[in-house]
Amino acid sequence: MEINVKTRKNLQIRAFYLFFIVTSLQLGVGIIGAPKLIYLEALQDAWISILIAFIYIIVVIAVMFIILNQYENADIYGIQVDIFGTFLGKLLGTIYILHFAISFFSILITYIEIIRVYMFPAISNIAIGFLLLSLVVYSVLGGFRVMVGVCTLFFIFSHWIVFLLVHPFTQMDITHLQPMFVSSFPELLSGAKTTSYTFMGFEILLLVYPFIQNKKKARFPAFLAISWTTFLVLLTTIIVIGYFSYQQIARREWVLLGLFKIQNLTFIERFDYIVVAQWMMIILPNLIFLMWGITFGMKRMYQIRQKTTLYVSAVIFLVASIFFDKHFVIQNLIDFSARYGFWLVYVYPFVLLPLVLLKKYRRNKKAGESHEK
Amino acid sequence: MNRRKKTGKGNIFPLQIEDLESLLKSKFKNNPDLSFTTYERKNEKVAVFYIDYQVEADKVEDFLLEPLLGEKIEWTNDSILNEIPLSSGKTYEKLDDILKNLLIGAVFIYCESEKSVVSYLLSKKENRSLQQSETESLVLGPKIGFTESMTTNLNIIRWSVRSEDLVLEKYIIGKREPREVRLIYLKSIANETDINTMRQRLQELDVDVVDDSAVLMQYIEDSTTTIFPQFFTTELPDRFSYNINRGKLGVLVENSPTAIIAPSTFFSFFESTEDLYMRWNVGTFLRVLRYLSFFLSTLLTPLYVAAVTFHYEIIPTPLLINLGQSRAAVPFPPILEALFLELMIELLRESGARLPTKVGQTIGIVGGVVVGTAAVEAGVTSNVLIIFVALSALASFTAPNYLMGTTVRILRFPMIILGGLLGIVGIFFGASLLIIHLLRLTSLGRPYLSPIYPLVVEDFNKVLYRLPNQFQNQRFKSYRPKDLQRYANKDAKEKKDIDE
Repeated sequence: MEINVKTRKNLQIRAFYLFFIVTSLQLGVGIIGAPKLIYLEALQDAWISILIAFIYIIVVIAVMFIILNQYENADIYGIQVDIFGTFLGKLLGTIYILHFAISFFSILITYIEIIRVYMFPAISNIAIGFLLLSLVVYSVLGGFRVMVGVCTLFFIFSHWIVFLLVHPFTQMDITHLQPMFVSSFPELLSGAKTTSYTFMGFEILLLVYPFIQNKKKARFPAFLAISWTTFLVLLTTIIVIGYFSYQQIARREWVLLGLFKIQNLTFIERFDYIVVAQWMMIILPNLIFLMWGITFGMKRMYQIRQKTTLYVSAVIFLVASIFFDKHFVIQNLIDFSARYGFWLVYVYPFVLLPLVLLKKYRRNKKAGESHEK
Repeated sequence: MNRRKKTGKGNIFPLQIEDLESLLKSKFKNNPDLSFTTYERKNEKVAVFYIDYQVEADKVEDFLLEPLLGEKIEWTNDSILNEIPLSSGKTYEKLDDILKNLLIGAVFIYCESEKSVVSYLLSKKENRSLQQSETESLVLGPKIGFTESMTTNLNIIRWSVRSEDLVLEKYIIGKREPREVRLIYLKSIANETDINTMRQRLQELDVDVVDDSAVLMQYIEDSTTTIFPQFFTTELPDRFSYNINRGKLGVLVENSPTAIIAPSTFFSFFESTEDLYMRWNVGTFLRVLRYLSFFLSTLLTPLYVAAVTFHYEIIPTPLLINLGQSRAAVPFPPILEALFLELMIELLRESGARLPTKVGQTIGIVGGVVVGTAAVEAGVTSNVLIIFVALSALASFTAPNYLMGTTVRILRFPMIILGGLLGIVGIFFGASLLIIHLLRLTSLGRPYLSPIYPLVVEDFNKVLYRLPNQFQNQRFKSYRPKDLQRYANKDAKEKKDIDE
């Protein structure tokens, strides 16, 4: 297996698209429920937890960049094979694929559940699942450039939602955020940990990095993306805390959607319906890139055609979605995804870093020795 | 079979004039229009032959027969070519060439015992005079439109783009019925890759006949399955030269008044040269209005259907009361009602386009006013929906390009069905599908949605809106023209204090 990815020049993208990719992948279904979860852990100091998470993620991303820059043009699948050898490397790669698959599936069924709860209680999972998966398949078939285009355009088309927060923002009760600094440090940390599912998605960097044209400029858009998502999570959390009382937050599952109900115009009463439908454009880039990650990984490690994986996994996801229609099952899946995803996304890079550096050091030494000879 | 082919391809001369006559007559067995005359002088014989209505009879008389039958001239090819006061004399030897040129109006002179035949192209072609284009109309700017004649069109183009850079490459396309196709561009500006791609597509085209430029366009398009036109078409020379001057390629087809512009983006179909003739702020307003009407026309009726069918919570109570009263008498579900009305509008449009102008207007009034009012009174549709449908129909006609306007109108139908089946989720599904589809399209290998994706912010002011001229000094960057700069940015404002 090739360690480095050979990318055709016309498939490569400019570095600033990384902003759209990372933001689109971080924002998903997580942010809908995140304000509540963080609030329950860290109370009105939730914003500190988010900032802690932000700083931690910056460190993780910096580590990812260091790892990636040790290679010419490699992705995580290649790097793991290089470090751990073929068998272990492919095993770890497969874990990554599983991680993408579970993330994909958790996003898919959560969104389907939201649609069921908000709009069509009787509709079957398979109908909505079919619609979403057909869109995913259609865009993945278009190739990498189309997928990046989907991220970019859907980012532009869906961010008007932020303006709906203006009205609740003006109605906030600032005393809900006071007194500050009541939570202990462990509470803040566990609040930061609950954000892990929401902020997940930037690990796609390990896959798309070989496709970037001007790699030297890649850092800034990546950090900007992290900052933007953090800002959005922070904003929504503060507004949620300021607008709702403790009981109201604790009672609601998707507390963010409740916020969108507040704004109304003379011709539109309930924006939350539109937002729920609009959310399709927010989760689609997630699904598309995760699906691509699965197919690309299978191709890299097992030489299976991407189209084959694409069709097969789409059918598997569709069939599986039938069995996940109970709320607690879905919640369990999300919890599971968040729990192991934490280790894979937030901790594993720190394990990988010294190994990669060691390997490089040895390789350089060897090259130096042979040069001397 | 093989021998006949040989006679067609090889030299058939010298031969007796009688033999030539019988050979040609046999080729034109059922066409009585071949005029074949033999003249004799002393021992020499000469034959003149052509097809009656394809040549200018006056010219044949004055410039060809008169000198030919005069005393001075010798009846040999050399002296004929020298003495006859016409340019463009050619000699042919092969039967195929003779037949081909006969059909486009050549006059042939054969002197017996010569090894080839002399021909002059004196073709006569009936043309319509220059008229205003009917499919695309402008309020400001030049009114003249292209015609069916290639020479006229080339003449117009040469007058509007008077540059030695202008290249008019010639291609002959069509096996059975060869037609002249011209690839037109400015060689110092147009992108080399685009030119090569277009050349290749034209050269590799292997069809029997190209009926019209719209047909040629479908042969050379990137995607054959999509509903969206990928090349801009125009009948207006000013739109044509506007695009050529900005580094695009133009394709003209013989016998077609429509020119193809490539590469085009989704947004080129909403651009009108009129935006340039207006002041920049007015032009911006009009352009934004056109984009808005694209959204209105595809989404308004579907949103109504979705809201009334599934989500009446979205509509505020006072408005909902109105809607409810209007819909109270209607026994159909909204989706049927909307489809019925939309179909009716389409019927009106189609019949209006097919009927003669005067009758068309009458039908418009009968259909629009009488049927519309009657439909509401009969309780088949609601008032509000009629407003929506009429609005979206109006909006669809704002696209300056007829092809795009039609596409937009048809897009509405799947959207209505999606809205009727799945409410607003269905509409967002449709919109997502549309965006992904547009992202996948290319025009001559260039992304269809540029400059939105790939994102080139510098180009926004040429496509989405317009800015004053000091910001317009560059060409469309997304297409990578050879020469990006239109003019130096001298006009950039210096910072001045009051009354300085």
